[in-house]
Amino acid sequence: MILTHASSAPFSLSVLLWLPLTLALLSAALPARLTGKVLAVASLLPLAVAVTFVANFNSSYPFPQFVTSQAWIPSLGIRYALAINGLNVSLVLLTTVLFTVSLAWSALREIDRPRLYYFWFGLAESAVLGAFLAQDLILFVAFFDLMLIPFYFLVGSWGSGERVRATIKMVIYTAVGSFLMLAAAVATGVIASGDHHTPLDFSFGVLQHLPVSRTDGEWLFLGFTLAFLVKMPVVPFHGWLADAYKSMPIPAVAVFSGVVAKVASYGFLAIVLPTFPQASHHFQVLLLIIALASILWATAMAFTTRDARLVIAYSSVAQMGFILLGIFSLRAPGDQGALLQMLNHGLVTAAAFFVVAAVAARAGGSERMDDMGGIAFRAPLLATLFLVVTFANLAMPGSSNFIGEFMILLGTFQSHLAIAVIATLGVVGASFYALRLFIGAMHNRVGGRVQSFELGRAEAIAIVPLCLIILVLAFYPQFGLSRSQASVKLAIAPAASASFRGSESRTLPLTYASLDAPLGWWSYAPLGAGLASLPGKPRRIYTYTTPPSQQGSKQ
Amino acid sequence: MSPTTWGWLVLLFPLLGTIAIGLGFRTYSRAAGVIGTAAIFLAFVCSVGALIALLGRAGAHREVVSSLWNYDASAGVDAKLQILVDPISVFMMLVVTGVSTLIHLYSTAYMRSDEGYSRYFAYLNFFVLSMLVLVTGGNFIMLIIGWAFVGAASYLLISFWYRRSTATKAGIKAFVINVLGDVGLVLGTFFIYRHTHTVSFLGSFAAAPHVFHTDSPDLVAGCLLFLVGAFAKSAQVPLHTWLPDAMEGPTPVSSLIHAATMVTAGVYLIVRLHPLFVLAPTAAEVGAIVGCMTLLIAGTIALVVTDIKRVIAYSTMSQIGYMIMGASSGAYVGALFHLMTHAFFKALLFMGAGSVIGAMAGEQSLDRMSGLRKAMPFTFICFLAGGFALSGVAPFAGWLSKDDILGYMNNRGGLYEVLGILGYAGAFLTGAYTFRLIFRTFYGEPCAEARELEHGHLAHAEVHRNPANGEEEDTGVGFPGPEHVIAEREPAMKVAMGILALLAVVGGFVEIPGVDHVLSSFLSSALSGDALAAASHQPSTGAAWIGLIIGTIVGLAGIGVAYRVYISKPGTSAALQARFAALHNFLSHKWYFDELIDVVIVRPALTLGRFAQAVLERVVISGALTGGVTGLVRSGSAAVRRAQTGLLRLYAGAVVLGLTAVVLYFLISAH
Repeated sequence: MILTHASSAPFSLSVLLWLPLTLALLSAALPARLTGKVLAVASLLPLAVAVTFVANFNSSYPFPQFVTSQAWIPSLGIRYALAINGLNVSLVLLTTVLFTVSLAWSALREIDRPRLYYFWFGLAESAVLGAFLAQDLILFVAFFDLMLIPFYFLVGSWGSGERVRATIKMVIYTAVGSFLMLAAAVATGVIASGDHHTPLDFSFGVLQHLPVSRTDGEWLFLGFTLAFLVKMPVVPFHGWLADAYKSMPIPAVAVFSGVVAKVASYGFLAIVLPTFPQASHHFQVLLLIIALASILWATAMAFTTRDARLVIAYSSVAQMGFILLGIFSLRAPGDQGALLQMLNHGLVTAAAFFVVAAVAARAGGSERMDDMGGIAFRAPLLATLFLVVTFANLAMPGSSNFIGEFMILLGTFQSHLAIAVIATLGVVGASFYALRLFIGAMHNRVGGRVQSFELGRAEAIAIVPLCLIILVLAFYPQFGLSRSQASVKLAIAPAASASFRGSESRTLPLTYASLDAPLGWWSYAPLGAGLASLPGKPRRIYTYTTPPSQQGSKQ
Repeated sequence: MSPTTWGWLVLLFPLLGTIAIGLGFRTYSRAAGVIGTAAIFLAFVCSVGALIALLGRAGAHREVVSSLWNYDASAGVDAKLQILVDPISVFMMLVVTGVSTLIHLYSTAYMRSDEGYSRYFAYLNFFVLSMLVLVTGGNFIMLIIGWAFVGAASYLLISFWYRRSTATKAGIKAFVINVLGDVGLVLGTFFIYRHTHTVSFLGSFAAAPHVFHTDSPDLVAGCLLFLVGAFAKSAQVPLHTWLPDAMEGPTPVSSLIHAATMVTAGVYLIVRLHPLFVLAPTAAEVGAIVGCMTLLIAGTIALVVTDIKRVIAYSTMSQIGYMIMGASSGAYVGALFHLMTHAFFKALLFMGAGSVIGAMAGEQSLDRMSGLRKAMPFTFICFLAGGFALSGVAPFAGWLSKDDILGYMNNRGGLYEVLGILGYAGAFLTGAYTFRLIFRTFYGEPCAEARELEHGHLAHAEVHRNPANGEEEDTGVGFPGPEHVIAEREPAMKVAMGILALLAVVGGFVEIPGVDHVLSSFLSSALSGDALAAASHQPSTGAAWIGLIIGTIVGLAGIGVAYRVYISKPGTSAALQARFAALHNFLSHKWYFDELIDVVIVRPALTLGRFAQAVLERVVISGALTGGVTGLVRSGSAAVRRAQTGLLRLYAGAVVLGLTAVVLYFLISAH
C-alpha cells in the first residue's frame, strides 16, 4: 500500500520553520556591514531544506506528510503540529525563494540599522512558513498574527512616503480581521467539542470531521472569511493596500504581496472549505460576486492610476480576485487553478515590484509613469525581463499564469457560467493595464528625468532568478498541478457536493447560471470509498443524500 | 524519421534561432540576419521532411500525434505539450516557413541600417516559432498558446520603432483586440470541453458527433466564440480596426505577419475545427456572412485610402474575408488554396511597397508618388504580377484560388450562392483598388524622387518624419535608419521578390479544374469525414470553368474602371470625390468603425475607471471605510495618535515576546 505511507525527509519540519529566524539572529551577531550579505547567502539554506521536502513529497498521497505533532498546551487541546500536503507544498517553496531573492536584493544595498532590518526579515520568513505549515488552528492564528509584526516595523521604520498613516491603516485593518479570526478559531474548537462530546482539539484534521451546526458554521465561516479577505486583500476590504504597498520598502512589498497575501487565500483552502463545507456552499455566490467585483474594480483602478507601483498593487488585487473565484468555484479545476495561480502570482508580482524599483531608479527615483518613458533603449536586458514579467502578469497563454487562470475560469464556468464569462473582462483589462505600464515605462519618448542604464548586478540578483523560474514554469505548469491534485480533491470534496443534508442550496440567487452546469464528470463517491478503506486513518466521511453525478446528468 | 519528429524539428529551429540571436545581441548582432534566415530555412527543410514522411503513409494514417510531457493534466483536463501532424498542419508549415524564409532574406537587406537589427530578427524568429506552434498544436491549449504568442510577436513588431507614439498605440490596440480573441477561444474551449471532456483535437472531433446533435446550443455557442477568436486575429468586421494601424511596423513585418501568415490564422482555425463547424451550421453561416461583409467593406475602403501600405492592408482584410467565407461555407480546400496563393502575392505586394517607400525616402502617401515605372522596373514588374494575381486575372495564382471558393459557394446554393455572387462584386472592387494603387504609383508624370532615381540617385530625407502624423522621428532607436533601400539595388530583396513573383504567376497551377488536383487530393484524407467536403458538393468541371471565366472578366472590368479613372481621364477621381462627397467622406473615415468603438467601449471604460479612481476609491474606500476606522484613531490630538501607535507597538511586542516564550518552552521541554 503506497498510499498509507507518507514520505519521509531527513529533517523535521521544525528545522525548516525556525531556520530563518535562527539564521537572522546568528547573523545579527556579525558586524553590521556583513549581516545582510551573510544572511542572504545563508537564506539559501532554508531554500535547500524546502527543496528536499518538495523532492521527497509524495504527490499521490492527499493527507499531511512529514508530520510533526506535539502537545503544546494540553489542557486546551492546542498542538504544535506542522505538516506539508498538496496545498502548501509549493507555497512553502515559494516562500523560501522569495525571501532569498528579497534578502539578496537588500544585501546589495545600503540599509539603515541592518541588524534590526534583517532580524525582522528572518522573523517574517519563519512566521509565514509557520502559517503555511501549521496544522493546528490556534497555531495557525498565532503565526498569522505574528506575520503582521515584522511588516509593521518594516513599513514604519524603513518605509517611504506616508508611512505612519500606512502602518496604522494596515495594522488596524488586519488586526480587526485577526481578532475576529482568533475568536472564530477558539469558538470552532469549543463548539465542535461541545457538539460532539469530544475533548477539545484544534487540529485541522480533527475539526474537519466534527461538523458544527449549520448556523454556527455560517458565523464561524464569516469570521474566518473576513480576516482572510482583508489580508488578501479583495474589494471592498482593500482600503489599506494602496498606502501600505506604496510605503513598504521594495523587498518587503515583494514578499508581502508574494506570499503573505497568499496565506489568506491558502487559509480558505486549508481551513474554511474543509471545516465549514456547508457554509462555504451557502455563501458561494456571495464570495464569487466579491471576487468578481475585485477583478473588475481593481482592473479599472489599474487602468487609470499613474503610479507604476500601484498598477502592480491593483493588478494583485485583481489576481487575488481570480484566486478567490477559483477557490469558491468549489470545482476541482477551479481550486487547482487557484493554488497554481498563488504560486505563479507570487513569483510574478514579486518580480514586478523589483522591476518597478529598477525602472524608478532610472527615472530619477520617481515611480510615476509620467516621469518614465524610453528606458528600453539603453537597457535592453531590463526591457526583456520586464516584458517577460508583463506577459506573465497579464496571463498570456504560454505562461504558467495562463494555465492558472484557465483552470480557475474552467472551474467557475462549471459552477456559475455567467460569472466566468463576466470575469473574462478582467483578462482583457489585464492585457491593457500591463502593457500600458510596460509601454509607459520602456517605450515612447524619453521621459524628462530619465537616465537609463543597463540592468545592474544589484537588480539582476532578484529579477533574473525570478524570471528564470517564471520561464521554466511556463514550460511545465504541471509542476504545481500534479502535487496539489490529490489534496485539493480531498479539501473541496465536502463543500463541492451540491446537496448536503439540510442544505437548500437551490434557493440562492443567481443559481440560474448554474442550472445546467454538469457536476458529474468525476464522481466523489469512489474517492470517499477509497478514503474510508484507508487503514490507520479513521476518518468520518460525509454521506451525501444524492451522489453529485446523478444531478449533473439531469439537465 | 516519423512525421512528428520532423514536426518537432520544425519547431526547434526557430526556437534556437530566437535564443541564439537574443543571446548574441552584443557580440554578434550583425550575424542576426544570417542566423535568423538560416533557422527558418532549416525549418522549411524539415517541413518538407514532414511532408515526405507523411506522403509515405497510407491515407488513413496521416494523422500523427506526439507529446513531450504533461502540460496541464489535472482535474479532468488532459493537455499535453503535443503536436498534431496531418495534411492540414503540414500544408500550413510549408506555407509559413516557405514565405517566412523569403521575408527573412528580404529583411536582411531592408533592415540593414536599423539600429535594432538583431532585436528585429529575434522577434521575427519568435513570430515564426509562434505561428508554427499555432498550426502544429495538437490540442486546444497548444492552439491558444500559439494564438497568443503570434499576437505577442505581432505586438512587438508593430511597436518595433517604439519611440513613435503612433506605433506604441497601434501595438497596444492590436494586442488588446487579440486578447479578446484569445478569450473567445478559451470560452469556446470551455463549451466544447464541457461535453467532450477532453481538450485534444482528435479526441474532441471523435466525441463531437456523439455528444452534440446538429446545432446543439453549447456547440453553437462554442463555435461562435471560436469565430470571435478568428475574427479578432484575421481582422474581420468589427474586430478589424487594429490591422490598418498595424502598418506602423516595418514593411517586411506587414508582409509576413499582417498579410501572409498570422492574419490567416482564423482561416486555419475554422478548417482545423471543421468537424465542429459542420455540426453547427448556424455558427458557420455567421462566419460566412461576416466574411462576405468584410470583403465588401474593406474593398470599398481600399478605394479611397491614400497610404500605400494601408491600401494593401485593407486589401488583405478583404481577401481574408473570402477565405473566412469559404472556410465557413465548407470550401476548405479553396480557403486553404487561397490562403497559400494570397501569401505569395500579398507578401510580394508588401515587399514591392517596401521598395517604393525606400525610393520615396520613407514617404508612404500615394498623393506624393507617381511615375515610378521607369525608375524601378523590377519593382514595377513584381507589383504587376502581384496586382494581377490579386485581381484574379487569368492565369495568375489568385484567379484559380479565389474562384475555387466562389465556385463552391455558388454550387452549394441558397444563402451561400448569394454570398458567392457578392464575392464577385468584391472581385470587381479588388481589380479597381489594386490598379488604382499601381496606376497612381507607377504611372503619370514622374515625381521628384522618381526623376532623381532615374538619374541613379536614391532620394534621402533630411529630416525623418513619421508618415502617420508628421512628428519628427527619434533616430535613437534606429528609425528609420540612415539608408534607404530599393529592390533594384539589393540582391537579397531581388531574389525574395523574384521567387514570389514567379509563385504569383504559377502558384495556382497546383489545382486547375479538370487538369490537376494536387492540393485537394493531399488534403482529402484530413477532410474525409466531412460531408461538406464530399465530391457531391464540388462544382462540376464545366461549372468551375464558367466561374473562372466570369471571375477574370469581373477582375478585368475593375481594372478597366481604374484605367479610365486614373489613366485615360485623369481628372475623373477628383470629379467623383466632389460629386459623391458624403460617400467619400464615409469611406475615408473607414465606415466610422474606430469612432464607434471609441464611443461605445473605450470611453465608457476609461470614464468608469477614472470615476472609480476619483470618486469611489477616494471617497468611499479611503474616506468612509478607512476613514471611519483610521479617522477614529487620527481624530483628536496628536497625543491620542501617539498613544495609539504606542499601543500598537505594545501589541506587537507582546506577540513577539509570547512567541519567544513558546520557542523557549519547546527548547526546554524537548527531550
